[in-house]
Amino acid sequence: MRRLAIGFIPLTDAATLIACAERGFATAEGLEIDLHKEVSWANIRDRLNVGLLDGAHMLAPLAIASSLGLGHVRVPLVAAFALNLNGGAITVAPELHAAMAATGEDLSTGAGTARALGTVVRARASAGQEQLTFSSVYSFSTHTYALRHLMEAGGLDPDRDVRLVVVPPSYTVENLRSGLIHGFCVGSPWNSVAVEAGVGRIALLGTELFARAPEKVLGVHARFANAEPDVLRRLIRALEAAARWCEAEENRADLVRLLAEPRFLGVRADLIERTLTGRPDVGPGGAARSDADFLVLHRGGATRPDPRHALWIYAQMVRAGQAGYTADAAREAQAVYRPDLYDVALDAPAPGNPPPAPAMEADPVGTRFGAPFDAEDLEAYLAGLGRR
Amino acid sequence: MPADPGLKIVIVDESPLRAAILDEGLREAGYVNVICLKERHNLLARLHAIDPDVIVIDLETPSRDVVEQMFQVSREVKRPVAMFVDQSDSSTIEAAIEAGVSAYIVDGLKKERVKPILDMTISRFRAFARLRAELEQTRTQLEERKTIDRAKGLLMRLKDLDEATAYALMRRTAMNEKKRLVDIAQSIITAAELLK
Repeated sequence: MRRLAIGFIPLTDAATLIACAERGFATAEGLEIDLHKEVSWANIRDRLNVGLLDGAHMLAPLAIASSLGLGHVRVPLVAAFALNLNGGAITVAPELHAAMAATGEDLSTGAGTARALGTVVRARASAGQEQLTFSSVYSFSTHTYALRHLMEAGGLDPDRDVRLVVVPPSYTVENLRSGLIHGFCVGSPWNSVAVEAGVGRIALLGTELFARAPEKVLGVHARFANAEPDVLRRLIRALEAAARWCEAEENRADLVRLLAEPRFLGVRADLIERTLTGRPDVGPGGAARSDADFLVLHRGGATRPDPRHALWIYAQMVRAGQAGYTADAAREAQAVYRPDLYDVALDAPAPGNPPPAPAMEADPVGTRFGAPFDAEDLEAYLAGLGRR
Repeated sequence: MPADPGLKIVIVDESPLRAAILDEGLREAGYVNVICLKERHNLLARLHAIDPDVIVIDLETPSRDVVEQMFQVSREVKRPVAMFVDQSDSSTIEAAIEAGVSAYIVDGLKKERVKPILDMTISRFRAFARLRAELEQTRTQLEERKTIDRAKGLLMRLKDLDEATAYALMRRTAMNEKKRLVDIAQSIITAAELLK
């Protein structure tokens, strides 16, 4: 038995890792996983770096930032397994939601919501009112890029017209209640927790911005991937089996119970259940929102890391001014995603789960409104956004 | 006296006791501007107002991600803050992370000038961890003592034994079954409760 220390943040999309450790999938591959609950993404990165963790539940953009040395010391990481696509949502305070509804825009659509937010922000500015503050969970996260995309689609400059800050998921409810923030983008189950507490309304599901957004990956140090390729292959196989198990309907009740345990998420089971089935409670007064793909753990080839997703993340970093554009860095970012390791481990494409043919969709994240992403011509995409 | 007694040092720690220990250590070393921040909310605004040269933060607080944001958005603080750790100093990074603490310094501040601060922090964090482990151990020992005494009392009453004999019986059983004395004691208590 090879013991592995794996870090995770208590979020619904840690489901595959938790099931892998707790439902026998790791043992079947001769692995024993010790799960370590962490409180910050910075901890996950640093503990992976110094070898206290062998692998971790990690924001895909953090894996890339770390490999490029953005915002911190350069730590080369490898993402050979995608833990999920989607799963985030944007929640706003009830007062802001009411102001957005009063603009007359159609809030049941993403584009309408973006325009409504733009109108409210401009009206506040001309009335000399305090700027709105929105939070995400980390600077390098899909949540940050989702918020910025929404602002830009609403005609706003995310760096000037609003304040973007970082608030840890477990603090979001208190911050929204006290008015320190007016809205946030965070993963499950925290949007539902805010709705449940009566301090927020879900304004948009992540899938209303991007149909297939990269979210968390299994991050391992490049040193580990190189030194123990066999262990990594076994881990990928165990995770793939666990992800498949997580999505099977007959296992849902068991999975929900497992995730709700205090040692994992420690939140109410019904909130987790609604997340997994894509029907979060959006709160009173809002348009009902549901999407079967709200959180994707396995189906449609979701676990195979798609290097075009890495490229999209890098493009969002350039868009956000977190990185300057160079063709070399773009290649480096793409190289963090390792479908080759995934394929070798699973003798892939895995039976019954073929990856979608690349030629089928031009935009690998399925941008719903605003500028579509073009993985084939990154420079043109950035130029179109005035970032190149 | 340190080279820069006036460096503004902020301590962000969820444990008030540990923060106090660290604060004391830094003051003893001659640093006069040490501020302990307790608030979980609006941390960024507080840091902005204080404008520290060095931030020491414990790894148990989720606020680390809030602090790291400051490297991205320079308009939030007057001077951008950078990680103290760089590629050349991996042993200090490892020692800090293992001790459960991280530090950030303003860009441009020479590493040698803050090294003593981090070294002091690491040693105080380690001392605190040892203290906590000892406390935990004492607490466990106390609990075990209580369990053993209870089991001994039960044996004395149920089998009409004196104290020394009851204790010797438990010891012998523990040795024969290759178990810890406290485990045998717990079995006696459980059995007694079941048979009540």
